[in-house]
Amino acid sequence: MTGFYGNGALCAQGQPQAWLLRGKNGAMRKYYLPVAIGTLLFAFWFSPDVQEIAAGVAIFLFGMLMLEDGFKLFGGGRLERLLTAATRSTGRALSFGIVSTTLLQSSSLVSVITISFLSAGLISLVGGVGIIFGANIGTTTGAWLVAGLGLKVDIASYAMPMIAVGIVMVFQKQKLWRGAGYALGGLGFLFLGIHHMKEGFEAFRDQIDLTRFALPGLVGLLVYSAFGMVATVIMQSSHATMVLVITALAAGQLTYDNALALAIGANIGTTVTAIIGSLGANFQGKRLALAHLIFNLTTAAVALALIVPLREAVDWISALVGIAASDYALKLAVFHTIFNVLGVLLMLPVLGRLVVFLERRIGEPVPDVSQPRYLNEAIDQFPETLESALRKEVLHLYDNATELIFHGLNLHRSEVFEADNIAQAVRQSRAIIELDIDERYERKIKTLHAAIVDFTTRVGGKRLAPEIADRIYALRDVATGIVTAVKSVKHLRKNVLRYTTHPQGKVTDLYDGLRTEIARVIVEIRKFDLATEEERSVLWLDQERAQLEDDSRSSARRVEDLIRKGHISPAAATSFLNDSGYAYGAMRGLVAAARAYYVERDRAVAEVEQLIGFDEEDLQDAARDSAAGQHAGGTPDRNRTVM
Amino acid sequence: MGLKKLAAKVADYKQRLEKGQTSEIKPDHVQKVLAKLEKKQVDLKARFDAETDPGERERLTGKLGIAREQIARARWLLDELD
Repeated sequence: MTGFYGNGALCAQGQPQAWLLRGKNGAMRKYYLPVAIGTLLFAFWFSPDVQEIAAGVAIFLFGMLMLEDGFKLFGGGRLERLLTAATRSTGRALSFGIVSTTLLQSSSLVSVITISFLSAGLISLVGGVGIIFGANIGTTTGAWLVAGLGLKVDIASYAMPMIAVGIVMVFQKQKLWRGAGYALGGLGFLFLGIHHMKEGFEAFRDQIDLTRFALPGLVGLLVYSAFGMVATVIMQSSHATMVLVITALAAGQLTYDNALALAIGANIGTTVTAIIGSLGANFQGKRLALAHLIFNLTTAAVALALIVPLREAVDWISALVGIAASDYALKLAVFHTIFNVLGVLLMLPVLGRLVVFLERRIGEPVPDVSQPRYLNEAIDQFPETLESALRKEVLHLYDNATELIFHGLNLHRSEVFEADNIAQAVRQSRAIIELDIDERYERKIKTLHAAIVDFTTRVGGKRLAPEIADRIYALRDVATGIVTAVKSVKHLRKNVLRYTTHPQGKVTDLYDGLRTEIARVIVEIRKFDLATEEERSVLWLDQERAQLEDDSRSSARRVEDLIRKGHISPAAATSFLNDSGYAYGAMRGLVAAARAYYVERDRAVAEVEQLIGFDEEDLQDAARDSAAGQHAGGTPDRNRTVM
Repeated sequence: MGLKKLAAKVADYKQRLEKGQTSEIKPDHVQKVLAKLEKKQVDLKARFDAETDPGERERLTGKLGIAREQIARARWLLDELD
């Protein structure tokens, strides 16, 4: 877990296929719906059989959505861990891309997920590019599924029970069952969609012969590649395009040559989803989208240039594995696989250079500490990235906050962190740090806090798993606690400047004491953060909480004593007591924020910590005992059974 | 903290456990927390031994007291679970 230093498209988003149309491309959004509906209506008028083909495509896409939902429900924190493990080497990343795309049956979705995880800083750029390469191979399994299975067996007879059983499972309470239900139902809908496309093309064949529009030679290659690209951009799924092409090819509505060109075009068109997905992503997400575009353009260019030898290779391989010379659907699947594998083989040796190029082309922006660094639209879709990015943003806020707190107290953070004796370091820090604390607060704290609140409110509208939602709201409260602490220190600034920039006797000692206490709390939180997750416990922070109560009481007693002896004026004492209230409020707030931020994720262990931890009453008792020269005592009688 | 209060906390935990609102505590979970507390105690003791400043020693004494109390509570909880 990174420290202070350092569901589903259908049900969760409340709108269908949000990832397909996501992004800021206003023009595309504006015209997409009327153009799509208009085209469909025209096609339905032109031929009623198009309805079945269109419904087939729609059912197929719906199946993809259900599959996506299913895998998201399976995900939980596992997806994050899986992705981290999967991107440790290029080979692993490549395999992950192949497997995940085979399971999800959508390279576009895998690309969007990868951009999202890359934007959230969960994976490296090299790992992300590896996944994209693998996704291009994984997507070819779709062509095999359709050509090898969809056209050969009565796929609808499998689809119906899968959908029925899947939907029953979707209504179960347990996440695992629901996830499996979505995945099974999704696969059923994929099959049903293929069936309807097949039926539609067969009926359509009796009315119109599309092969009349077949174009031979280079013109046909280029025009049909463009068709394939446009079809994929519209459907935002190369997989759907390939299914459509294979079913049309099997129904004799396309020539084999034109189908090859459509497959090449689909590979280019599929990059649009990643490009749209990257619009809301940070520079890393944009780099990945560019990598995807470069890879697919290169692969398409090579395929177009080598179309004749590739075609011969397909014939040779098909004959070798026993595919009939006239089985163009399966031969198209072979072609699709060959040219994508060829693309990966060509690009893998230059992966390092590609990454260098991407890093040069899309530079990392100079970090603006006043702007949210991790909360962007690209991470909005996945619970794992939501929480992880929010944790990092809260950390970013804390970093800005501690810097401002130290400067507000006329202290330099680095000097305090390096000091062996904090009290001495504070006493030596008398030079004024020029600072417009209100301006700095507005710029570096309030902006981030507003972004965090806005983000948590926005994601609160999604139907997240309760434990993730709880953690997200807890992180929002952590951020609010940090901001409150900064506000408290803002109140101290005036008297810190008045009493600590040159020695003024006892009142300076009092304010130095406050500065020291705040510095100590931040140092202790830092030490806690630097300890590994395996060795630290939030119970350690009880020691700080108890110390704060003790110090607060001692400080009040000291002031009373100084007033009695006439060492400070009542006016100065009143100011100090007010400021002391703010200071201890800030310290309590910071410790509370740290306790909430580092709370144990294992609920049983968190429960143990809750049981044996100190509550407010214990802290007061401990402070009283300390004042009386004792320690908190009262271990329960071991002979009594309470469990 | 007296037995009465810890017993009340445990009773509350058991109620929540029955309602399925929390996870079951097993001895391993307590052992894990105990190990972390004991590590902290060792660190504090080492810091105390190396410290010469009386004020700092006093602060560390207070912290050691809290750590000792938490360790005692954890051991008691462990005994109860065993």
